[in-house]
Amino acid sequence: MAEAMEDPVWGPELEEIAERKKMALEMGGPERIERQRSQGKLTVRDRIGGLLDEGSFDEIGSISGYAEYGADNKLKKLTPSSFVMGRGLIDGRPVMVGGNDFTVRSPGGDPGAGRKSFVVERLATELRLPLVRLIDGFGGSVRTQDSIGRTYIPDNPGWREILDNLATVPVVSLGLGAIAGLHTVRLVASHYSVMVAESSHMFMAGPPVMARLGQTFTKEELGGAELQARAGSADDVAASEAEAFQMARRFLSYLPASVYELAERGPSEDPPDRRDAWLASAIPRDRRKIYDPRRIIRSVVDKGSFFEMGRLFGGSMITSFARIDGWPVALMASNPHIYGGGWTDKTSQKVARFVDLATAFHLPVVVLVDIPGFVIGQDAEMAGTVRHGSRALAAVYQANVPWCSIIVRKCFGVAGAGHTDHTRAQYRYAWPSADWGSMPQEGGIEAAYRAEIEAAPDPEAKRREIESRLNLSRSPLRTAEHFMVEEMIDPRDTRPLLCEFVNLTAKLRHPGRASFGLRP
Amino acid sequence: MSRDVVVKSELKASVWQVLVKPGDRVEEDQELIILESMKTEIPVTAPSAGVVREVRVAEKDQVAELQVLVVIDG
Repeated sequence: MAEAMEDPVWGPELEEIAERKKMALEMGGPERIERQRSQGKLTVRDRIGGLLDEGSFDEIGSISGYAEYGADNKLKKLTPSSFVMGRGLIDGRPVMVGGNDFTVRSPGGDPGAGRKSFVVERLATELRLPLVRLIDGFGGSVRTQDSIGRTYIPDNPGWREILDNLATVPVVSLGLGAIAGLHTVRLVASHYSVMVAESSHMFMAGPPVMARLGQTFTKEELGGAELQARAGSADDVAASEAEAFQMARRFLSYLPASVYELAERGPSEDPPDRRDAWLASAIPRDRRKIYDPRRIIRSVVDKGSFFEMGRLFGGSMITSFARIDGWPVALMASNPHIYGGGWTDKTSQKVARFVDLATAFHLPVVVLVDIPGFVIGQDAEMAGTVRHGSRALAAVYQANVPWCSIIVRKCFGVAGAGHTDHTRAQYRYAWPSADWGSMPQEGGIEAAYRAEIEAAPDPEAKRREIESRLNLSRSPLRTAEHFMVEEMIDPRDTRPLLCEFVNLTAKLRHPGRASFGLRP
Repeated sequence: MSRDVVVKSELKASVWQVLVKPGDRVEEDQELIILESMKTEIPVTAPSAGVVREVRVAEKDQVAELQVLVVIDG
């Protein structure tokens, strides 16, 4: 724009807006900013800067706050609102972002903060843009009752908006400090949440409240990042705030801006016909020996594209995003390092939520299957494994996205059957190491042939005789004779076949809202 | 300066084999303990090199999720 020839008509007001903005940028003042930094935490504005593409933040409500006026009715001081939000870019794609400013302690009310935190949610829904929440805040206090002179029936402000977003746009929550009260459910009610090790703690009630009940905990013991990620209340732990921002950016890179769009194909420099020779030896012949499932994943997806979420929770299934020939996919893989790949109550919860996520955002699902069944025992029964497992199976059967399963080893029982919706046309392959049935014969023989074994003069010899007889019919090739598995493949062909799958089925993805909204 | 490296079990399992004893020097990723769960052998490896200070479990023990198995002076 050319320089104005004369002073603008609205010059004084423009100057005042600029002045107010300058005051707002000072946040809670140097002392409180220093205190925030001394705890290893960034300020909300540093966080927004670290998350977004450089210089892309367009603030909304930048001069909302608590104003103090002098006797001349001129503004003396503006304490900004403790919630900062606006639009920005991540990898050039627009997003909404909002974060708590923990440095601000308003001397007399914080008029905009509450409404700004709902408006950012509403803008994300209506503009159909991903949302990132930067959470650093406490919950309610009985001091409120003291100051307002009454009490009230609680509600959860913003919860309707939060649920609308779960059904509409990708939501990432980053736990960057103390998280208590309503903020706990703001963190959890997201598609992806990350807490920062050591500086972030989350609890429904903190150590002082627990101490009153006679239970002493440190913040870390009661609600540290690792604890919450193992519990499944948060998805992942970041070593630093900077790493958490990178994880948020990476997560969003696999998803469309909303359920009304489809994820775009990215560039792929990895040849679709790449065949890694070692895959033909990836699975040990000895069924008791295990292997590294992440190495297999890396070998079949585009180089550098594997992004795992929720590693510490329900670890017998790996849930991840990756690209195959450039197309984003939701990839699950059994992890034999945890319960031999057996499904626990937590594994089941993880699978249900992840499949719902893939369904909501129309990502094709790839499953590398090595499932010996549900983990059994009294603990498993008490944990409600059957109910959580049933929910996982329901999610698999409600998924309407392209689905490709590759049975790399075990597939047993009800949990094993959950690798696919068997009523669909199967896009399925099996490796020669495949081993399946209604139950693994190692445990099943004792149950099915107990009378026969007990009656034998040498029970152990009888057991072995039955076992070797059953082993003869165990080969997956016998299943293939009867066309009960679609195709036995050379493991080295897995990547070329997956590339074909994602290209063939890309047109079958349909944008739109799922018939159900996701639950946290 | 040495630091304690605490090696925990990621799952509830039984101890199949104990491969190290106090005083043993171990390398990163070396197998320390083999657990058994769902009829598979699950190796527990050293997160970093060091000298084994304590082995807190014996073969056939049942271990809980996050139970400490081995302590290494790293």
